[in-house]
Amino acid sequence: MFNILKKSKKDPRVVVIGLDGVPYTLLTEYMGRGLMPEFAELCHKGGSFSKMKSTLPEVSSVAWTSFMTGRNPGQHGIFGFMDIDKKSYEYIFSNFNSLKESPFWEKENIKTIALNIPQTYPARPMNGVLVSGFVALDLRTATYPERVFEYLSGIGYKLDIQARLAADNPQAFFEDLFQTFDKRKQAIKHLYDNEDWQLFIGTITETDRLHHFFFDSALDGHYFHIFDRFYKELDRFIGLMAKKASDDGALFMTCSDHGFTPIKTEFYVNRWLIENEYLKLNSVDNLKGITPQTKAFCLDPSRIYIHLEGRYGKGGITQDVYKALTDELKEKFSTVTFEGQKIIKDVFLKNDIFHGTYTDNGPDLYLLPNYGFDLKGAVNRDSIFGTTHFKGMHTYDDAHVFVSVPVEKDDIAIEDLASIILKHIK
Amino acid sequence: MERHRVEELWGLHIDLKVERSESIVREAIDRFGIENLAIAITGGKDSTTNLWIYKQVCDKFGIKLPVCMFIDEGDVFKEIKEFVDYIKQKWSLDIVCLKNEDVSSKAASIGDIIKVSSLNDTNKNALGEMGFNEAGFPFVPDSTVCNHLMKTIPMREFIIKNNIKSLSTAIRWDEQEARKEEEYFSQRTDPDHTRVHPILHFRERDIWIAIFKFDIPFNKLYKLGYRSLGARCATGKMSDIPAWMQDLEKTPERVGRGQDKEQVMNQLRSLGYM
Repeated sequence: MFNILKKSKKDPRVVVIGLDGVPYTLLTEYMGRGLMPEFAELCHKGGSFSKMKSTLPEVSSVAWTSFMTGRNPGQHGIFGFMDIDKKSYEYIFSNFNSLKESPFWEKENIKTIALNIPQTYPARPMNGVLVSGFVALDLRTATYPERVFEYLSGIGYKLDIQARLAADNPQAFFEDLFQTFDKRKQAIKHLYDNEDWQLFIGTITETDRLHHFFFDSALDGHYFHIFDRFYKELDRFIGLMAKKASDDGALFMTCSDHGFTPIKTEFYVNRWLIENEYLKLNSVDNLKGITPQTKAFCLDPSRIYIHLEGRYGKGGITQDVYKALTDELKEKFSTVTFEGQKIIKDVFLKNDIFHGTYTDNGPDLYLLPNYGFDLKGAVNRDSIFGTTHFKGMHTYDDAHVFVSVPVEKDDIAIEDLASIILKHIK
Repeated sequence: MERHRVEELWGLHIDLKVERSESIVREAIDRFGIENLAIAITGGKDSTTNLWIYKQVCDKFGIKLPVCMFIDEGDVFKEIKEFVDYIKQKWSLDIVCLKNEDVSSKAASIGDIIKVSSLNDTNKNALGEMGFNEAGFPFVPDSTVCNHLMKTIPMREFIIKNNIKSLSTAIRWDEQEARKEEEYFSQRTDPDHTRVHPILHFRERDIWIAIFKFDIPFNKLYKLGYRSLGARCATGKMSDIPAWMQDLEKTPERVGRGQDKEQVMNQLRSLGYM
């Protein structure tokens, strides 16, 4: 009763269901096959369903931060899941506190439920409810306020699935996947019905997990029946949430942070740098073994950093050779092939893709691969190419967005969504 | 241990390294008495080398080896079980196999969800101790929860029940940065006992030098490319060439293994990053 009274019909409201790693092309295909009737119905009723660009790098931590802040990585300061310490060369892992910009709902003081958005761990107090997403380690630390933690732990809510199961026991992985998905949906419905909010964001990450290990079965193949079952369940859930939003007069959206495509081969960028004598390591305590002879190194997925003097403890590259070196790397990367196919679609220089106060923290070059070539920053590989149990890789240009009203904007990127939401709310 | 001392001991010839390890073992026998000692064995290269050093000392004294403790965390490679049986016969070992059956019997396969309500009070209390208050957990050996239930709890019971004063393990300084602080004798609580680390000063390379020089038996999994062995589901290999032929100095030893303290890295790795 209390909640119903508080939910004023006058305040414009927005409901976003985040679908981590769900491609535009896959949704289109599934709608065509009749696998997602609810979603197809939403699209037919008007509104706008379109392809969307992710961020560069096209990884969840960066893309969801751009979603939350409406900003470019050069402005929000998140360029990946990890960076390295410029003196010790140890990995540093970014978390929610590393964002240089606050989420727009914090800045505008919009009462918000934000569940399972990557890069929001640890939870901090806000006007509403926060349940952190990947990489969240502990449910209590991941939840604000305490009473929501009590609810979540009571229903056996799980922060994430055990991804390690995928290679060893697919059956157990799928069970974990559906169980985690059920709890996620249960928590989303509960918070929607029982909390007061103006902006509601519930994100599904099970999609991304399924895709990483089994995307080669997305259209047909050995595990297609899992995709069939999962996406039918997802479709029912989207239909349900869209109906709730419609009944409450709220704008309804779904969006993903990047797309997915099957992997032909992995490409180990640091191994390539070693074999081409740009990277010299004296041990493989990850990048801690970097020597002063190192000219460049890579951090996941394909961020190339020039080992500049003054920027890094052992850096020896001076500004006067910087341009020649980046040009040379750009040229060489552009010509790498695998079985006759070019691996790299585009090599971007820092200022081509980043802008804002923190641009200098970004990579000096960024490699965007062609579909099928998964670029990796691992240092401990002994060959340039390889395949593993990972079957899906992220794509930059095939994320999606659905908005229940027409959107007057072509060529949408994920960092545009904040302004679309704000425009409706304010 | 001070850094310069570590470096100094690393520089010793293999014979002197073995000699030093033997003197640690003799000191342990003197201090605690052979009947109060236990040796942790895993079937891996380090623990077998450690055990071989105990055997050298005990053979010289004409005494029986201390009791060996083997923990079955619920997903042991069959090659490890076979190897442990083999050295048991070969060296006439007294091996106690510890397995938390109350937990492992509730899961038919790795990843099955175990309901906390189905466990006995000891295990329920153990979960409470670690602040775990969910209704269930997946059975994944090497995860934080399973490590506690399947390793820490049985080991604790074993130490108390057998009145063990000293437990010897085969850790090495070069395994990870945090290990460099370790001493040969290190006091532990809950329950009170002393950890003895005779081969702290061996590097991975030294283990292989010792194995081939002294003809110490080793598990055939290393020949397939595994560098470090743990629970089956949490152990991988990065190469197909035998462990001792890999670039030990420039590639990491435990890359295929889960490490509880590095949860973020683990989660990222599980999705293909790093």
